[in-house]
Amino acid sequence: MKQMLTALSFALGVGMAGAQSNILQLPLINDPIMNPLIAPELGSILVNKVIFPGLVRPNEDLQPVPDLAKSWTITNGGLVYTFTLRDDVRWHDGRPFTADDVVFTFNTARDPKSGSRLASDFSSIKSVEARGKNTVRFVLSRPFAPFLILLGHNAGILPKHLLEGKDLNSATAFNRQTPIGTGPFKVSRVVPGASVTLVANKDYYGGVPKLAGITFKVVPDLNTQVAQLRSGGLDWVTLEPSNLPSVQGAQNVAIKQADAVQHYLVFFNLKNPLFTNATVRRAMQYAVNRRAIIDGILKGYADYPTGTIPTALRTYYDKSIKPINYDPAQARRLLAQAGWRPNAQGVLVNAKGEPFKFTLIVDKGNATREQAALAVQQDLKRVGMDVTLQTLEFATLVRDYLIPGKYDANLIWWTTPPDPDQYSFYATGQDNNEAAWSNARADSLLKRGRETVDPAARKNIYNAFQRLTMQDPPVLVLYYPKELQAISKRLTGVPDLGIRDALRYTERFDLR
Amino acid sequence: MLSPGYVARRVLHALVVLAVVAVVTFFIVRLAPGGPSLLADPALRDAERAAIEARLGLGDPLPVQFLKFVSNAVRGDFGQSFLFGTPTLQVIASRLGNTLILAGAALALTLLVAVPLGTLCGLRPHSWLDRLVSVLSVVVLAVPVFWLGLMLIIALAVLRPVLPAGGMYTTGLEGNIPDLLRHLLLPAVVLASASIAELLRYTRSSVRSAARLDHVRTARAKGLPQGAVHRRHVLKNALIPVVTVIGLQLPRLVGGAAVTETIFAWPGMGRLSVEAALGRDYPLILGVTLVVALAVVLFNLLVDLLYPLIDPRIRTEV
Repeated sequence: MKQMLTALSFALGVGMAGAQSNILQLPLINDPIMNPLIAPELGSILVNKVIFPGLVRPNEDLQPVPDLAKSWTITNGGLVYTFTLRDDVRWHDGRPFTADDVVFTFNTARDPKSGSRLASDFSSIKSVEARGKNTVRFVLSRPFAPFLILLGHNAGILPKHLLEGKDLNSATAFNRQTPIGTGPFKVSRVVPGASVTLVANKDYYGGVPKLAGITFKVVPDLNTQVAQLRSGGLDWVTLEPSNLPSVQGAQNVAIKQADAVQHYLVFFNLKNPLFTNATVRRAMQYAVNRRAIIDGILKGYADYPTGTIPTALRTYYDKSIKPINYDPAQARRLLAQAGWRPNAQGVLVNAKGEPFKFTLIVDKGNATREQAALAVQQDLKRVGMDVTLQTLEFATLVRDYLIPGKYDANLIWWTTPPDPDQYSFYATGQDNNEAAWSNARADSLLKRGRETVDPAARKNIYNAFQRLTMQDPPVLVLYYPKELQAISKRLTGVPDLGIRDALRYTERFDLR
Repeated sequence: MLSPGYVARRVLHALVVLAVVAVVTFFIVRLAPGGPSLLADPALRDAERAAIEARLGLGDPLPVQFLKFVSNAVRGDFGQSFLFGTPTLQVIASRLGNTLILAGAALALTLLVAVPLGTLCGLRPHSWLDRLVSVLSVVVLAVPVFWLGLMLIIALAVLRPVLPAGGMYTTGLEGNIPDLLRHLLLPAVVLASASIAELLRYTRSSVRSAARLDHVRTARAKGLPQGAVHRRHVLKNALIPVVTVIGLQLPRLVGGAAVTETIFAWPGMGRLSVEAALGRDYPLILGVTLVVALAVVLFNLLVDLLYPLIDPRIRTEV
């Protein structure tokens, strides 16, 4: 028995000694798809940011700065982009990186038949061609101001020599086991369901990375992620505000917040006559206590909204616009103006006696969103609206309700690239304009906004759009959330960005 | 011994069960609301969504999809997993081994604890041990698995970090047996906890009723020593229903480890089934369900075949 115990403790001790230092450990929810053109969810996108650099990457002001491209010129009124590429870049398999790789990547990306999920991001490209080994020229079919930002967002460059002529989704060995990129870390081992191990790329064009490696561990449960963070098994976890108490007081962990280019909102199906009157939608801005949602549910980790352009877009956000504060009395006045008055039971009815009755849907399982939806429902009830709350599983919500347009109102969020372009969300008839909002002036502003390359002129356009959405709200914007990060105090060199953009700079990361 | 007719009947029976499971699962998962998570990004444009649907073969009418599935399945092709882009069986194979390790450890733990303890309690009913064990087993049965798992993680991985908080190996030590054992301990205990409590109670009551049988009383009356009575007459009879319960636990350990595997980040089948269900990965859901169904059928068959070996009375019936 004693011998057995000794053997067991020895065995356990050997296991202990295996942990390595100077390797950054990050969580994933499931196995990533290591191909930036088809990555379907955040985890895959995060891994791809490390393996596959783009032509540009965002700086701390979210503006594009050189990465694989050394420099660029924009000519012909914003129609032609010419990039000069670095000449010292090699793929992880040793082959040189050239303009042909860039041409291959974007020809594939803009072809929806390739399975690319970035097709609409790059639909403005008319042609892309190599002009010599280190020069690439993009010709756009129309001026498209977000182009550079999108190049630095999810568009990592893929190796032509490995993927040409292959169906992206069927290149399983590349996507799952042996992706080849040009980034500061290269994949050395993938254990399905468990981890993706990356080691420093000594030939990285930006100098030798400081970390020895990065391990992405598959830890599906957020509580377990927090436990691993506290026990040193993970170094960086993004949290929901409700998880804060479980990391506060942990000595090795710092809490950071980063701007997220997101807006959380309730959109109303404007095909439903209840919501067509802009006065009704304005009334709801007064009726919902968004400050209470931010302070109570998000523990203050969000900004108060003024329109659909989030504060994270510092360059374009107009601070001078006055927010609409909680004022239920004003909400009732506006609703009365629009012909809705409370009956004897306090429920709003129109002239025909029909009640203001609708269903608000929200996805199941995310405590923050479920609580926010409940708060919205209660606030709207307080001004006399008869609101039913329905929670649905996310895939069901999107596929069976959102896409077919079968809903009255829906609490959801938009995550956008760090650019104010919201054409596909709020211009008339666009795929993502789920509210079916239509405003001719907004259409014109949004169209001009994406076509205007001059930053000052662009700022004016989006400020005007922001003001417009305060008058004729397309949706009820609830808050601009912060990304909440619990991060090991040992980790240094991380730029002041959200995790997805910060991971573009992993060569600078270090663990003390 | 076993007649060939009996074995053939049982195998045929098993095949029918599998076929029924396949048909029912196929239609239930497709008629369920929602769709593949690859499509559930609200920011996807219509053209991109249509391209993905076409690639996944979701454009065909349901009966056509079913016929395609059947014709491929009889050739051993269960389709490509939507989430993994690789053949379904390959994905399952990569996880099945991990689950068998966890399930095997949990089963061993269950047998080691439940059978001896249950027997002791059954032979000494209402003793202090029996009372303690009975209270403990009720508590364990009542506590949710995820809560127990998280408490153990907090106690033994965070507050007193003696064991890892999750995963199957320390990264870089894959294949290292001592490292595996360290990672195995907590999830195996959590997974086994409910089985232990259940099997223990079964063993106890089975031993109790066997001890009250007439021939046991006769054996005692004849003056056979207590130990011999227990060994020869009580335990042998008590074991038969216990074997059935163990047989029922096995598929649960293989297929039902979803919560344990998720909490402990264990890369096994249980978690795969959760991923498949949440992602509406139709081929993978079907594949996982069929593998679990196969396990149920096989274990049942195994139990049935074991019966005659344990109980001579059954031999004449088969």
